[in-house]
Amino acid sequence: MARRLLAVLTALLLVAAACNDDDGIDIGDPDDTEAEGVLIAAISGEPDRFDPHLTTAYPSFQVLENVYDTLVQPGDDLTMEEALATDWEVSDDNLTWTFTLREGVTWHNGRAFVADDVVYSYERIMDEEFGAANAFRFESIESVSAPDDGTVVIELTRPTPNLLANIGAFKGMAIVPEEIVEDGTIDTEPVGTGPFRFVEQRPDGEIVLERNPDYWGGDVALEGVRFRPIPDATVAMTNLERGEVHWTDSVPPQQISALEGRDDIVVESVSGGDYWYMAMNIEREPFGDVDFRRAVSFALDREAITEAALFEAATPNQTAIPEDSFFHFDYAPFEYDRDQAMELLEGTGIGDDFSMDLMVTNEFPETVTAAQVIADQLSEVGIDVQIRELDFAQWLDEQGEGNFDSFLLGWIGNIDPDDFYYAQHHSEGGFNFHGYSNPQVDELLDRARAETDDDTRKELYDEAVKMIVDEVSYLYLYNPDVVHAWVPEVSGYEVRADSAIRFENVSLSG
Amino acid sequence: MSGYVVRRVGQAVVVMLGVSVIVFLLVHLVPGDPIRRSLGTRFDPHVYQLLYERAGFDQPLYRQYVTWLGNALQGDLGVSFRTGRPVRGMVLERLPATMSLAFAALFIGLVIALPAGIISAVRSGSRTDYSVSALSQVGVSIPDFWWAIMLILLFSLTLGWLPPSGYKSPLESPVGFLRHLTLPALSVGLISGSILTRFVRAAMLDALHRDYTRTARSKGLPERVVINRHVLRNALVPIVTVAGLQLGFLLGGVVVVEVIFAWPGLGRLAYDAVLRRDYPVLQGAVLLVALSFVVINLLVDLLYARLDPRIRYE
Repeated sequence: MARRLLAVLTALLLVAAACNDDDGIDIGDPDDTEAEGVLIAAISGEPDRFDPHLTTAYPSFQVLENVYDTLVQPGDDLTMEEALATDWEVSDDNLTWTFTLREGVTWHNGRAFVADDVVYSYERIMDEEFGAANAFRFESIESVSAPDDGTVVIELTRPTPNLLANIGAFKGMAIVPEEIVEDGTIDTEPVGTGPFRFVEQRPDGEIVLERNPDYWGGDVALEGVRFRPIPDATVAMTNLERGEVHWTDSVPPQQISALEGRDDIVVESVSGGDYWYMAMNIEREPFGDVDFRRAVSFALDREAITEAALFEAATPNQTAIPEDSFFHFDYAPFEYDRDQAMELLEGTGIGDDFSMDLMVTNEFPETVTAAQVIADQLSEVGIDVQIRELDFAQWLDEQGEGNFDSFLLGWIGNIDPDDFYYAQHHSEGGFNFHGYSNPQVDELLDRARAETDDDTRKELYDEAVKMIVDEVSYLYLYNPDVVHAWVPEVSGYEVRADSAIRFENVSLSG
Repeated sequence: MSGYVVRRVGQAVVVMLGVSVIVFLLVHLVPGDPIRRSLGTRFDPHVYQLLYERAGFDQPLYRQYVTWLGNALQGDLGVSFRTGRPVRGMVLERLPATMSLAFAALFIGLVIALPAGIISAVRSGSRTDYSVSALSQVGVSIPDFWWAIMLILLFSLTLGWLPPSGYKSPLESPVGFLRHLTLPALSVGLISGSILTRFVRAAMLDALHRDYTRTARSKGLPERVVINRHVLRNALVPIVTVAGLQLGFLLGGVVVVEVIFAWPGLGRLAYDAVLRRDYPVLQGAVLLVALSFVVINLLVDLLYARLDPRIRYE
């Protein structure tokens, strides 16, 4: 009996192997080859849901970026440009913004886009009973109204110079049509005004989009896009090398230099707007002592940390905003200096056996690597660092409860300086978990938040940032690059500093 | 026989109730707040409070459990925090992918283990026996994720025979399904095969030294008949038990391989649910795996009678 069973099993295996040979050299799946002009993009995670106002997952936004539009959107240099609105005016008291909407825009379901759609979407985000993830971005908005089909008026409670970034920085503030909310399909079958129409999410997790022939932004070259979730970066790169996918954002940093020399793969990077930092719990001793924090800052070699965490795919920085931004402040007072660090530490009165913990999360493996280098460097000035590696859910709990000596984390997707500094360093800031408080900084941040003249605003921020850096509220480490890779058949793709992935101008040859 | 089945089903229900309590408690007692995890680093406290209450976290734990169990018994496993979709649909649509991977891995395991274990036992002490033992030791020692990466590098990147990741529905493309299934099934199957080889060898050796084997030999039966009809037949009972346990283990244990190969199974769903603290999905997925495990064990017990007519269920 056993032998007969074995014979059957072996025969089955042989049949399976023979089937493989039928495909010969062409390793692609049969249904991929027939879909010419369809770009296959490997993304690192599976989107959770497609309601742009509820999701907080980056993979969802990778898809939604190509389906939805906002009133305004970040251009290539991350200044806010027109999108569904073509023009806007601000009243003299800076409290009323009037937007003129683009004409002739239709939803993917064929209905005309009108001002009431904007009012509906913004009221949905602001609805206290709804629970939108980005409700905090609308806190200075008093009301939204539509005097006619082509005009939207936003009334503010206080001047908000960064209103455009608040409503358009990414697709979390997308304009959605009421009908898909009413019929409950917004989470599974989003309908937008963007370059691609949502077709389906297949059982294997792949998301299928097709070209929107009526796109307001002009002709879209691709026939469609398929987003294929591949969590493992090595596997994603293998898929790219074999041509199973055309594009990926999972590029292991250690492979970048090797990939750059190849002609069958294109790797491009831009310095991004994200930043990574270390924060010390100012409410605990000795971290409340500015000298201690400054000592740590002098004791760290940012170049070495950056190299270890991301190889060469990042730029060391001592402030938050990267250098190609208008609001970049060229200020780097901390030169790696062990003697100075030792000198400062002597005055703080910490003992020889001083030990502190450094909380990191495996959700962002680069923080774990960076922590090891930091621990090594601090041990040279007599500080023993215990690395606490937690999963992100637990990490966030500990941070929220102030249960840490120090931690490493990054901020992603910020555009306006208010995003970079207010919540983090204002005494009342929603993300000031490390307990930094300086009335002068508070006042400067409050003023800068309401200042409408860009140059004056930059001066205010520069002044605040100087104090934030000098007092080491955050110990800024580096700005990572945004690195994407694709096959040479892909043209027209541009890596963006805000990590948004847009395929509207992309075409596929061969 | 029917009395036995009723008793076993009764036991299974008790086991499942116990599992439900443990799963619920474990999931809720693990540190990490699901609402904070889903909102991330920056949010409005009001939104946090709203979602917290909506998830029922303001209720005492026992009441949350009773509500969840009551709904689960009616087939309602709740709604995912992460996707907003009903959990039942989410886990059921993932079940076929995991089942097919587990069965394929077991299949590969048996294809390796049966001949290797039998030859090893029959030629006990020979060079073949030592080689098989050494190889199975290697197979048991190497983790599945290492096999996964090595298989991808060899069969996919270097030889270009098989796709490195992904899934095709067997209804849509049977060939595509098999091609995508092969590497993940091999990654797990090689390990299962190594484990099973050792069991097959031990069970065969045990049967080889039994009286009935000596009797069969002394009757002058050819060795081939002794092995096939007497030794193997008797050795099959423990082998089937272990294979059944292996299958149950595979259903819940292919998480890492599913993640590496982007295989859309329950394991990957549960993995995401753990990281996101998506309680309803995690509970649903674990419950489903536990249920499969209990059912497989029940079937294995019933299979004994087919293999060994001496076993009767009273």
